[in-house]
Amino acid sequence: MGDMLVTAWDRKNLLQLEGLTRDELIELIDLAQTHLDVVKRKEPALKTLDGKLVANLFFEDSTRTRCSFAIAARRLGAEVVDLSTTGSSVSKGETIVDTAHTVEAMGVDAIVMRAKPSGAAHLVAQSVQAPVINAGDGRHEHPTQGLLDLLTMRQHLGDMSTRTVVIVGDIANSRVARSNVHALTTIGAHVRLIGPPTLVSKSFESIAQGPGSVIVDHDFDVALEDADVVMMLRVQLERQAGGNIPEDYRELYGLSKKRASRLKPETIVMHPGPMNRGLEIDSEVADDASRSVILQQVTNGVAVRMAVLEMLIPSS
Amino acid sequence: MADLIITGGRVIDPARGFDETADVLISEGRVKSIETRPGGLPRETTMSSDTKTIDAEGCIVAPGLLDIHVHFREPSTTHEETIATGSASALNGGFTTVCCMPNTTPPLDSAEMIQLIRHKSNEAKGARVFPVGCATIGRQGNYPAPIEAMTKAGAIGFTDDGDPVDDSGVLAKVFTLLKKANRVFMQHCQDPSLTKGASMNAGPIATKLGLTGWPRVAEEQMLERDILLNQSIGARYHAQHLSSGGSVEILRRGRQANQPVSGEVSPHHLLLTEEACDGYDTQAKMNPPLRSKRDIDQLKEAVAQGVITVLATDHAPHPAVAKNTDFESAAFGIVGVECALPLYIKALIDDNVLDWPELLRLMTINPAQIAGLDIMGLGSLAEGGPADITIIDPDLEWTIDINSFVSKGLNCPFDGWNVKGRSIATIVEGEVRHSRSQERLRT
Repeated sequence: MGDMLVTAWDRKNLLQLEGLTRDELIELIDLAQTHLDVVKRKEPALKTLDGKLVANLFFEDSTRTRCSFAIAARRLGAEVVDLSTTGSSVSKGETIVDTAHTVEAMGVDAIVMRAKPSGAAHLVAQSVQAPVINAGDGRHEHPTQGLLDLLTMRQHLGDMSTRTVVIVGDIANSRVARSNVHALTTIGAHVRLIGPPTLVSKSFESIAQGPGSVIVDHDFDVALEDADVVMMLRVQLERQAGGNIPEDYRELYGLSKKRASRLKPETIVMHPGPMNRGLEIDSEVADDASRSVILQQVTNGVAVRMAVLEMLIPSS
Repeated sequence: MADLIITGGRVIDPARGFDETADVLISEGRVKSIETRPGGLPRETTMSSDTKTIDAEGCIVAPGLLDIHVHFREPSTTHEETIATGSASALNGGFTTVCCMPNTTPPLDSAEMIQLIRHKSNEAKGARVFPVGCATIGRQGNYPAPIEAMTKAGAIGFTDDGDPVDDSGVLAKVFTLLKKANRVFMQHCQDPSLTKGASMNAGPIATKLGLTGWPRVAEEQMLERDILLNQSIGARYHAQHLSSGGSVEILRRGRQANQPVSGEVSPHHLLLTEEACDGYDTQAKMNPPLRSKRDIDQLKEAVAQGVITVLATDHAPHPAVAKNTDFESAAFGIVGVECALPLYIKALIDDNVLDWPELLRLMTINPAQIAGLDIMGLGSLAEGGPADITIIDPDLEWTIDINSFVSKGLNCPFDGWNVKGRSIATIVEGEVRHSRSQERLRT
């Protein structure tokens, strides 16, 4: 079933959503949609990547994304080797490349990687032959998160062009926000980035191309009114020391029960996880099955990663 | 009797407004005479069988080019560059004199270290290398270096380049000491509190790439502070590698108020923008960072109007490994001396910002005066002066190729550019130390 859909795709790597065409984005999430029954165990696992080996190369702490990629690979019949390491010995970019070379020399069919430096996936992709899938590089992008978010939005709202997506939080340091901005504006959606002025600069308005648009603002209450999607970002508590997270963050930028009550009935609430309950989002909102799609995002994540692996790993 | 005659070239000496076809006769390392040729050939009487000649027809015969901003990495990180490789690299680019920065390990912060560089330079027999000393001990920014002793040892200026002298109180002392020593202070204008973790210009591309931005104001406000601080002291002050269009107005005001302030640019800040960093190209990582087209236009205007009076390079060689890493970890900088001339031709002559005599003024007498080297006769081409001469073929078309560089550094985003204009001979003290065109040289 995948074979019929693989048409326009000729990329070696998935490093970022910036630069992907509307057709490429849709092709990926269409393929992901077809895998949902496998993810939900309604259908047996596939054999598409039988005998293939996927390396999970994580230089930064991650449980969810690493696990999601591993499950995705296994559901396609591939094996997974985990080389996750977060020690200080791999903090330098050159060591990341050396490690990637080493892994490739052992014979892997794809490298899934996460690392602290922005651009780390580009660096590795330049140095290895194997396809590289960016599972998050610093503050740059997290392309599979952007894809799973797009798939989740489409499942609830249909065509996303002309829809309004409000993303709230520490935008400046968020790779999730950047991938969403590129995907959504390419599709034609209108993105509103909301956060403290120190954490979202006006220059975000000019980073994306495509029929959609980006508006930077700092007033969550105004943005609430016409949101079709509200995506809350995780507050990076470790950054508070730098004085970037204001004392009144929850009051100004938290999705409280009261704020959620002002959303349109069909508006969905998203969060890439893990959540700081009671800070950026109240538990009552996160657990409100009528709008919270947070667990659905997780399920879609596996399906999207299956689609990406399938697209990038050449079949024997 | 002349040892060497350069015949039939367009001799340009911006220091005295000379621009004519002439023969340059050189004897015992000095310019013996410059003879214009109203009737054609040079006088036979000046020739002997021992006399070498260089046919300079179609070429420009200029005072030796002078670059007051290079990093030659010696002592210590000599795998990156040495005085010998750097000064040979300078000759290959047409420079007869360079001034090397003191951010070495250990730094050049004592008379002994200055003497060491002078000694290495004399041994190298490349371009002349004059050391710029540290402004503060250890480049730590806390205590002024022994400026008088270092001046006596041969330091031609003072700087903590790579870092600014940030502390106003320390800088005021440095200014005061330099005023007495009559040496120039060269400031690396960068307010460190505004550039923590920054690796490229603050703007949409840094935002998109998830890199910390380096705002223009980090340069501008230090320049503004320095000029204000120096107002009552009056030391000679030179702003290095200006990158921001906003700095131009600040420098202009200082010069209009007759303060002894000057500024330089580098080729990359006139030819490349922040867009070169897209895709995490570490070859485009510079300190200060590449800015925008608007900044380029403002810097060029400043050059045209005589606000910026020096063209330098900030030659900063690095081994490949220093650039083959992620953008934020990668080293800043670019090797400069071997391709600066054609790049300045491209940026300034081809774009009608300057003509040849003006361009040469910014690469010879102007930097010589700032470094106080004009007193030795460097930066000009006058009878009786040192025979430091660069012969330039302005029409020679070539392709920049990092693998042909004499420098140990290969870090250059201009690799592969097709350019026009190149030195064909570099003469220091009457000696042809580099020649690219054997057919023009007759011995």
